Amino acid sequence: MSHSNSFRRQDAIFARTTQFFALLVLATLAGIIATLVIGSWQTLTQTGPKFFVSDVWDPVQNLYGGMAPLWGTVVTATIALLVGVPLSFGIAIFLTEMCPPALKRPLGTAVELLAAVPSIIYGMWGLFILTPLIASIQPTLTATLGQIPVVGVIFQGPPMGIGVLTAGLILSVMVIPFIASVMRDVFETTPAILKESAYGLGATTWEVVWNVVLPYTKAGVIGGIMLGLGRALGETMAVTFVIGNAYNISMQLFEPGNSIASSLANEFNEASDPAHMSALITLGLTLFALSFVVLSLSRWMLSSLKSKEGKRT
Amino acid sequence: MSAKDLASNPIYKRRLWVNRINMAMSFVTMAIGMAFLTWILITLFGKGFAAFGTALFTQMTPPPGAAGGLANAIFGSMMIVGAAIFIATPIGIMTGIYLAEVGQNSTVAKLTRFINDILLSAPSIVIGLFVYAVIVAQVKHYSGWAGAVALAIIAVPVVVRTTETMLLLVPNSMREAAVALGAPQWRVVTMVTLRAVKGGVVTGVLLALARISGETAPLLFTALNNQFWSADMSGPMANLPVVIFQFAMSPYEEWQQLAWGGALLITLAVLVLNILARVVFRQKTN
Amino acid sequence: MAFQVSLGDDAAAVDSPTKIELKHVNFFYGGFQGLRDISLTIPEKQVTAFIGPSGCGKSTLLRTLNRMYSLYPGQRAEGEILFNGKNILDAKQDLNALRGAIGMVFQKPTPFPMSIYDNIAFGVKLYENLSKSDMDDRVEWALNKAALWNEAKDKLTQSGLSLSGGQQQRLCIARGIAVKPEVLLLDEPTSALDPISTARIEELVSELRNDYTIVMVTHNMQQAARVSQHTAYMYLGELIEFTPTAQIFVKPKDRRTEDYITGRFG
Repeated sequence: MSHSNSFRRQDAIFARTTQFFALLVLATLAGIIATLVIGSWQTLTQTGPKFFVSDVWDPVQNLYGGMAPLWGTVVTATIALLVGVPLSFGIAIFLTEMCPPALKRPLGTAVELLAAVPSIIYGMWGLFILTPLIASIQPTLTATLGQIPVVGVIFQGPPMGIGVLTAGLILSVMVIPFIASVMRDVFETTPAILKESAYGLGATTWEVVWNVVLPYTKAGVIGGIMLGLGRALGETMAVTFVIGNAYNISMQLFEPGNSIASSLANEFNEASDPAHMSALITLGLTLFALSFVVLSLSRWMLSSLKSKEGKRT
Repeated sequence: MSAKDLASNPIYKRRLWVNRINMAMSFVTMAIGMAFLTWILITLFGKGFAAFGTALFTQMTPPPGAAGGLANAIFGSMMIVGAAIFIATPIGIMTGIYLAEVGQNSTVAKLTRFINDILLSAPSIVIGLFVYAVIVAQVKHYSGWAGAVALAIIAVPVVVRTTETMLLLVPNSMREAAVALGAPQWRVVTMVTLRAVKGGVVTGVLLALARISGETAPLLFTALNNQFWSADMSGPMANLPVVIFQFAMSPYEEWQQLAWGGALLITLAVLVLNILARVVFRQKTN
Repeated sequence: MAFQVSLGDDAAAVDSPTKIELKHVNFFYGGFQGLRDISLTIPEKQVTAFIGPSGCGKSTLLRTLNRMYSLYPGQRAEGEILFNGKNILDAKQDLNALRGAIGMVFQKPTPFPMSIYDNIAFGVKLYENLSKSDMDDRVEWALNKAALWNEAKDKLTQSGLSLSGGQQQRLCIARGIAVKPEVLLLDEPTSALDPISTARIEELVSELRNDYTIVMVTHNMQQAARVSQHTAYMYLGELIEFTPTAQIFVKPKDRRTEDYITGRFG
């Protein structure tokens, strides 16, 4: 029948067309990687791996080393997770196990909406509210905690309120809604019957969460944390406002510093020398590679929970 | 284990305490989280409303130390975001259709799904670098179009993800019923399945709109800024996020106040879009 | 056409003291009434079966006995349930303590995501502080009681999920017994199992009756006939008939019970 022949041709066109757009998405990623590699070629070939271990960043002498912003990125993201993960975990437990049913939906929605608030808002709040606050309590902290041998060093630095710690704290406030809502979602995947069997033995809510819900959703919880880490690593605006824009490697958390993203935001438009620009793009490539690994792990973890869920029900 | 022994069982007593303490801590974390977030919102609303007035919407961004408004930035943002969503929507929907209906479990589809998820959370500043390199560096000047392309790259994954998720919610029986009538696949998809999830797809577009409305980092290297009113997408364009960034970082109080006004505007837009997306979605699924 | 039911050797009910007594129990899911004025007595160290068509409230009734429904807001019970003479519907009732004394096994096997050994030790640790060797003994004792020791003794450190469905269900029974409860509630414990695993669980239930009071929900009348001494027939949230098993299947008093067990509906 000619009818079905023409149908088949139409469908072939349909399949090709939609596939073209999917390939466009793939091409975007390939394009991003290619551009970053080309852009950083000069640095990668001339400075080589030394770029990542050198902490000199001197546009006047045209000497660039990426260790300081890399350090700042890792330290701020670590602070963000150290503060953000326990808080998110508590919030997720509250939302799934403790919350009165009438409040469950409004509070859950509030957390989700807060994840949608643009990061520049968090940055401004950090600059205008958190920074002066930290500056005012900082002398006290330095005088007390700062005197503890060995670990005391992290509470030292100029009392300006701006610095790595402030940036990390802002990031933690920013990632909490992300991590908390993923954790809540994965906690909810625990089958009711499994929780009931633990309650049936006389376990308390905490014991059910800790011994049943958490082991059951382990992969998803780690995936959620990784997702938060991915956000924290690449976050630009929340960090740039408060980190202080100084190429600095220091254990002192009150010292100003720089993350990869804040270096790019502050310097990229002003970089006129090709070496400077290439160094910045190399930082961008590093950040992209780092996020790629973290986000891939996150996705893998979250999907392994999903497939487990499929098998069990 | 009889109930009588339990009351004096030290292990049981300790367990109850551990439970009480941990549940109390969970409550405290929720309170802390909410306190911080309301603190941020109260600051934003307080300082933002102080900047609200007709001037904000009618006057141009001022030079340092002068009064003014954000009219050109609001207009520029709308142009750039509108162009971005215009580019992103068809790409996102078509890719979503491919993943859910055509490619399904093929290698290309699996790879696309994976890459799309990565792009969904990729650092937006890197996307700014990419667009700078392929557009701005080639034509040798910043432009509204470059900004729109950068935002489109951020919006596409959101639309793809929601379109696919929504299409997968369509029961197979509906597809089968349409196929049984002898309809070719493209008609089944466009006339039946896509129509069945119209609300869901609109939700995705609204969420994408919300997502890019507040994006700042990728615009820094693409659309840049412009002190004047400009409807020319091929030149540098004022836009809210970049203006907010520059004004907030400045030492001038007038600028800082405008930054708060702009920040409140963006947040309101994002929240309204998100709530709208939820309403559309809920109506659709009910 | 009469539906032939073979009664097990244990079917004969023996007089025994009351373990749980329900007095005028009503149950509500929000506005919907799931149970209507249920009164019955569950004798000690015997198997009591709840049967009836699906949706009749037999599982709901079982879940009132350990207050499992209290996990869900909107569900509530009225009336009195006396366990060892104390009303467990009392608002002041300690639920953890209650559930420590009344264990439960569910429709589907629910091993926790941990090793076989830890699955059993988990419950024990809630109440007792045992040395390593005492705990080993307890685990072995519970697995023996649940007729799983021989199959599981070489893989105690493996995940509970590595066992077959029937073994998993016996693990859940072992887990319940290890806490040393007085009563075991079984909610259609064999509905997800194959016939051979089902037979093993039924044997086990008959064994366990020497030490525990057992209450069992089943949709399978032959199963009730084989393992229980008392049977309650429920229909639309009401208790229609509650008699010794030997009697209900041979000479039901109520017409509706007769219709059900002779397969005329349900």
